[in-house]
Amino acid sequence: MSVATRERPESDRSIARFIAFGLAVVVGIGILTARLSYLQLAQGNQNAAAADRNRTVLQAIPSARGVIYDRAGRPLVTNVPSFTVKLRPADLPESERETVVTRLGGLLGMDPADINAAIDANPGSRFDLVRIAQEVPEATARLIAESHLELPGVEVVVEARREYVQGPLFSQIIGYTGPITAEQLARLKDQGYLPDDMIGRTGVESTYESQLRGTYGAETVERDASGRRIQVLQTVRPAQAGDSLRLTIDTKEQILAQRALEWGVSVAGLKRGVIIVMNPQTGEVLAMVSLPTYDNNLFARGISKADFKRLLSDPNQPLLNHAIAEQYPPGSTYKLVTGTGALADGKITPTTKIETKGYLTIGTYRYYDWNRRGFGPLDIKLGFGESSDTFFYQLAGMLGIDRLGWWARQFGFGAPTGIDLPGEAAGIVPTNQWKQDTFGQPIFPGEVYQAGIGQGYDVVTPIQLLNAYNALANGGRLYQPQVVREVIGPDGTVVRPFEPKLIRKLPASSSVLRTMREAARTVVEIRHTYNLVDLPIKVAGKTGTAEFGVRDAQGRLPFHHWFVGFVPGDPYKGDFSKGDSQLAVLAFAYDSNTLGNVATEVVKYYLQLHFGIKEDYRKPALLQRANFYQGD
Amino acid sequence: MGVMRIEPARVRSWASQAVDTAWRRFDPQLTIYAVLLASIGLAMAYSNSAGPGLTPLAPGTTFSRGLVWAGLAVVVFVAATAFDYKWLKTFAWPLYFANLGLLGATLVVGSGVGGSARWVNIAGFQFQFSELAKILTIIVLANYLSARWGRLDSLSAILGACLLVVPAWVLVMLQPDLGTSLVFGAILAGMLFMSGASLRWLGLLAGLVVAAIPVAWTYVLRDYQKQRLISFLDPSADPQGSGYQLLQAQIAVGSGGFSGKGLTNGTQNGLDFLPVQATDFVFAILGEELGFIGAMIVFVLFAALLWRILVGAWRSRDPFGLLFGSGLASMILFQLLVNVGMVIGIMPITGIPLPFITHGGASLISLALGLGLLQSVNIRQVRAEW
Repeated sequence: MSVATRERPESDRSIARFIAFGLAVVVGIGILTARLSYLQLAQGNQNAAAADRNRTVLQAIPSARGVIYDRAGRPLVTNVPSFTVKLRPADLPESERETVVTRLGGLLGMDPADINAAIDANPGSRFDLVRIAQEVPEATARLIAESHLELPGVEVVVEARREYVQGPLFSQIIGYTGPITAEQLARLKDQGYLPDDMIGRTGVESTYESQLRGTYGAETVERDASGRRIQVLQTVRPAQAGDSLRLTIDTKEQILAQRALEWGVSVAGLKRGVIIVMNPQTGEVLAMVSLPTYDNNLFARGISKADFKRLLSDPNQPLLNHAIAEQYPPGSTYKLVTGTGALADGKITPTTKIETKGYLTIGTYRYYDWNRRGFGPLDIKLGFGESSDTFFYQLAGMLGIDRLGWWARQFGFGAPTGIDLPGEAAGIVPTNQWKQDTFGQPIFPGEVYQAGIGQGYDVVTPIQLLNAYNALANGGRLYQPQVVREVIGPDGTVVRPFEPKLIRKLPASSSVLRTMREAARTVVEIRHTYNLVDLPIKVAGKTGTAEFGVRDAQGRLPFHHWFVGFVPGDPYKGDFSKGDSQLAVLAFAYDSNTLGNVATEVVKYYLQLHFGIKEDYRKPALLQRANFYQGD
Repeated sequence: MGVMRIEPARVRSWASQAVDTAWRRFDPQLTIYAVLLASIGLAMAYSNSAGPGLTPLAPGTTFSRGLVWAGLAVVVFVAATAFDYKWLKTFAWPLYFANLGLLGATLVVGSGVGGSARWVNIAGFQFQFSELAKILTIIVLANYLSARWGRLDSLSAILGACLLVVPAWVLVMLQPDLGTSLVFGAILAGMLFMSGASLRWLGLLAGLVVAAIPVAWTYVLRDYQKQRLISFLDPSADPQGSGYQLLQAQIAVGSGGFSGKGLTNGTQNGLDFLPVQATDFVFAILGEELGFIGAMIVFVLFAALLWRILVGAWRSRDPFGLLFGSGLASMILFQLLVNVGMVIGIMPITGIPLPFITHGGASLISLALGLGLLQSVNIRQVRAEW
């Protein structure tokens, strides 16, 4: 067998099959050409646009958040640049997550559990960035940015961060911003909120969120497939800076109020206290301190899980603004409602004398006066001045629970005041209907007595109580309290000027209110408040000692102390015949089982500081711990 | 024994032949088209390796590796041309088993994406033996069919050819490499057709293959292969998933328009929207950067190359040369149609490289080997009347 024999004769070559193969080549390439001309020539423009869409993306330009000034224009919040570490979960393979999180935790000095929690709490999709750490030192930020290969999905960006100049002094009022939550995002996505956005979480940062935020702009950005920005192509819409706020509160006044409260609380060994200073003519809050407080800069810098847990688990609830968010029995301060109601309804006149005893009896129950001997016959001014319980039991009996409740609501109790701070409590004003709805029983006669002196079911917030006395002090106008005086546009013009917001005028004649103001002055004058009357300024007010909680071994209840008072328009020479007061103060001391009224001492000290009174009228001896029912 | 007698005669005739006479039959056109296509491939590799902050000539880039492979390919091509293809008949069976051995070795020591075993690392270079297996299969089949020349209207010869391919086919499917296994089928079909095998039997065989598709779907194909096959029917069903590449590829090709965006200017490529632009989807970048014109030039070059391969096959005085050329043409045509068809959305995704253009050493070396052997056929024809 030779190669030659294997060589085929030419006739074996099938020309037909070569032609068929050639045709297959032509047809095949023809089909490709046809499809290609459709894609590139007929549809070329659409596909070019699609490639452009791929490449360019509309990105939000964050707007500069408005800042917050105090009443005098001192900045309380500024925006400072901060290195922020973010992570895109979609770019972090699950198999590497543990390693990356551990390494990142080491670099940032963070507990890896905190990082995992942040990733898991991501309100957006897996493709959205999650904020891991703010306020990262520059060296660490650069290190992280450079080791992106070992840290897949981790990005470092520069963001504006809130710096709260006064920290704890204003934390309860200003609040803080924090990462948006999933629920908030779902609600606010249409308004341009981003999954890694910051939002006001509490305080005026929250109530004025829409003004402070401004309007985010938009720009088209060239990016690669993993979403990294290559360059900005075009600014579609510039960002509009947010409005700024000017508070009604002056930093100096706030410091004085805090100093007074901190003194009283520390001398009496207490944990919680409140002081509020307001202008009764406008409803402006001039100072508001709730102790204990916290540092909102912790939140602005990205609070650690441990710090947050510590704040949350503190039994004294530093994160709560006790001035508005907590409700307590008002005690004798509530006698304002009972007295005004009885006078206005004509149950008594300013001269009506009522016999006061050691106790009143209903059936087999005795309802005691704090003074077990009674005071004898008293008119309204002395009844209020001595704070006689049996006096007000009888007035409450005359009014009945529903009328008493109606008067309480006129003074603003039982409903939020509408102050421009979040988390306000409503308080409780008991009525027959309320008792029926809540306990399925009618009000008992004894409970009417208790309601008349602010015990029993009544609970109020400090701001409600001060606001009620504001209405007394200003001659009958109940204003909505406000902490923000003006909203100022980015160009410095006032966008929303200050305007008092009237809730209602009290349905009590000016003579009735004048009688009650004079009654409040009587409280001071008859030295129910010890030496408060010795101050060179004139103060009217009412103390309150409100029992709460559980009786001790001797059958005694712990109690809170209240004092709420005001000075006339001219504190030195004025009197209380006119409703011209420009300064009202409330102090509240929680669980203050002391000999004397802590709240009164706090207000006294505040007034000394406020008016620059050189002589010190404080009586620290009254602040010794003792559960002795000293007098009210 | 016949071989023994013939060899001295052949060597003598080769020696007696003037070198220039032999090389006159060398087909320069074939070589030029192949070189042009490979150059376009290198241009695409350059585009892949160029970019802000990238040095195309840095070691390890697609472009620098492409240059190394191109140099090797030239060596292989020259060596294969110089090699007398008639020796292949002698070595057909050893080559056959060597082929199976390489494929088996790939399964054992090979690496790949997602648990597959497709590449073998040799001195830092990844080499896909299944590419070489295509050429070796063509050689083996050409040898087998040429030995049965004139008797190919019988079913047994046809079935024999099929059985010859089965072991390699199975080994490739085990990798798993659906694309290469389909190329084996195309080579077999093309060579049987060009061998003049009975159309009746071929038709019957084709019918059987079609009938076997549902069986293969159920028992042979893996889930991801099915997914890829389905996604081509409706890529928009899962635009971020398996349909992503297809949609992005068509967007890339389409956005090139008539004249393209210019080499290295493709945004789909440069910004990494095409996840695997370096491999089987390189035509998408070609379409985007070189446009319709560039694609047409590639098609024309392929058509011309196939024409020269078929001319070589037609001129061959022995059935081996004809069959070898047919196998080579079948392979290149099939890969062209399936790869480009896949990119432009008329063929399913199967992982078949585009000859000369896809960046991959094994493919280029194998093509150089095949084309070199074809030149060897060209210059060793006794009569040169064409």
